[in-house]
Amino acid sequence: MNLFEEISENLQKGNARGVKDLVQQAIDERRPAKEILDEGLLSGMSIIGEKFKNNEIFVPEVLVAARAMNMGAALLKPLLKEAGVKACGKACIGTVKGDLHDIGKNLVKMMMEGKGFEVIDLGTDVAPETFVETAAKENCQIICLSALLTTTMSGMEDVVKAAEAAGIRDKVKIMVGGAPLTDAFCRKIGADAYAPDAASAADKAVEFCSA
Amino acid sequence: MSTLRIKRGGKEISVAFDGAGLLTQVLREHGMMIATPCGGKGVCGKCRVRAEGALSAPTARERACLSPEEIAGGTRLACQTVLQGDAVVSVPDASDFMNIQLEGTLPEFPHHPMKGRYGLAADIGTTTLALRLVDLKRRALLKAAAAVNPQNGVAADVIGRIEAALNGEGKMLQALVTREIENTLQSLCADCGISSGEIGPAVMAGNTTMLYLLTGRDPTTLSRAPFAADCLFHLRTDGGALGMRSVAGVNICLPACVGAFVGADIVCGVLASGMCKRKDTAMLVDLGTNGEIALWHGGTLYCCATAAGPAFEGANIRHGAGSVPGAIDSVWVQGGRLAYTTMGGRKPVGICGSGLIDATAAMLKLGLVDETGLMEADEVFISDDIGLTQKDIRSIQLAKGAIAAGIKTICGHVGISAGQIETLYIAGGFGSHISVLNAVAIGLIPRELTGRAAVLGNASLTGAEMMLLNESYVESAAKLAHSAVSVPLGGSAAFAEHYMNSMMFD
Repeated sequence: MNLFEEISENLQKGNARGVKDLVQQAIDERRPAKEILDEGLLSGMSIIGEKFKNNEIFVPEVLVAARAMNMGAALLKPLLKEAGVKACGKACIGTVKGDLHDIGKNLVKMMMEGKGFEVIDLGTDVAPETFVETAAKENCQIICLSALLTTTMSGMEDVVKAAEAAGIRDKVKIMVGGAPLTDAFCRKIGADAYAPDAASAADKAVEFCSA
Repeated sequence: MSTLRIKRGGKEISVAFDGAGLLTQVLREHGMMIATPCGGKGVCGKCRVRAEGALSAPTARERACLSPEEIAGGTRLACQTVLQGDAVVSVPDASDFMNIQLEGTLPEFPHHPMKGRYGLAADIGTTTLALRLVDLKRRALLKAAAAVNPQNGVAADVIGRIEAALNGEGKMLQALVTREIENTLQSLCADCGISSGEIGPAVMAGNTTMLYLLTGRDPTTLSRAPFAADCLFHLRTDGGALGMRSVAGVNICLPACVGAFVGADIVCGVLASGMCKRKDTAMLVDLGTNGEIALWHGGTLYCCATAAGPAFEGANIRHGAGSVPGAIDSVWVQGGRLAYTTMGGRKPVGICGSGLIDATAAMLKLGLVDETGLMEADEVFISDDIGLTQKDIRSIQLAKGAIAAGIKTICGHVGISAGQIETLYIAGGFGSHISVLNAVAIGLIPRELTGRAAVLGNASLTGAEMMLLNESYVESAAKLAHSAVSVPLGGSAAFAEHYMNSMMFD
């Protein structure tokens, strides 16, 4: 097994320490940071995403794998910046106003980072203006909205309207997700995409940014 | 009159009994219970104890279940052993031995009842309603009854019902629950030969949302962050004001709530546990949808609620069931295979909370589920047609992870380790008894608390009954609720970290 495969394997097992050590080894061997990221970390994370989508693995494995990825990615970050490597896209994400649930949101964030996105996490109970201001200021191509409560999901429409009012609606794609949501709801409020799970959300985001 | 000395964990108590009695029976009559997953048939071997004195000879089933060395050493199955005179029994500290709050068996406390001949204690749960009719003067339980909360038909979860109330269906929800309380009470009264006019006071506990819906209050503040309930009850009203015509004159006490997610049911449960009278550290966990946790430490009560989901109440599980006749309520490994019992010995109709905990532990033991929760088979059958799927195991992982993470987070907030908790009280509607050992095996409760757990059953209802029988508890519970410290878990980094680590089986 080569070093990148080993990184991917350890990441899939959620062995954070192993990933960290192997990424450090790769850096010491002067492998390019972009290669370590793509062929080690992101390739492992994409297998995790696929398995998650197919119900072979579950939230805990995704979380531990993502934690392992973050340990490795932290080592690569300064090197990637130095080499002028850009993220494949930029998004801001948060749970809408009145809602404190963040597990689903965190999973989407991890899956998107696993596809090489730069993701700004706005946390939970986020006001519509915060989404729009962040997207404008940080040049995000995507705004991701999460809600777990039927009583708070109507807040997603407020974000769509706020983006229109701020004049950035044509510059950002708005993606929505969460247990009570449907594709019909997404269309009704004028959002761009609904994703039924975190892995699909990341795939959709890649689609938007490569279009 | 003979005496049975019971030894456990360095402590010893003596109880008196008449004539000959089955060991499990005598223990139960004194409010203590040894789990008998096989229903006392002498086949599962779970009720192993050490016993000596005037006892029946080992039965054929005991000889099949126990090794000759064990029998020579005085090991017996409590469900097979008949006490014939004075005897001593030792129960291992880490066994499934537990004190349970027997229906109507209350802790000792002064008797200063509310005014009236008879009283009603009620626990209005999201899933079930439980009622006890009490003779206030004689301090005696007349009869208890349970019913399904008919609001289930509108929505199974609290949020769905709040939404319905916000959409103008509040009156309908109120009528559904009050009518069911009236109906259940009518049949209780008829069974006891009293008229509902003879009922003076009622204490109705429930989670905060249930009390909002019972009183027809607008639940807007419960529907979104910051979840600051605009009413914490500790109120008196009467049946007429709630639209209950048959008990219009009954004086109804609605005990205090701590907040939107920690309601009067938990406050009453804490009262019933007696934990706040203790000098040391104790914890109460309600294994329901909201997974409320109360920690008593240094003279302060800390509370939190985790979104465990309704898995232990049977929802989100393909063959999940509440504590109903025919629900698989215990599962164990026998001869390398899964064996089970059902409630009331009926044909299996589903699996309830205690059965889920047991089944998961048994499947882990047999390697049918690995430490990440992955199953090789699509479904593992417990009975011919009731089994657990991969999705069920995932739901259990989420639920147990949330509870375990809540316990760790609140301990961390207070600055103690789980090992410092002297007693863990477990409340909730998961079935007749849960196996503490299996709850530890699946990582639902910390390993350090093995042998320190006490299962209370419906502690909320017991607390409500205590208020009927000693009115001063209404005030003291309100004081406790108002001074309780809420520990928020939403957005807590410590909780998120614990949650991630607590979902696995290891």
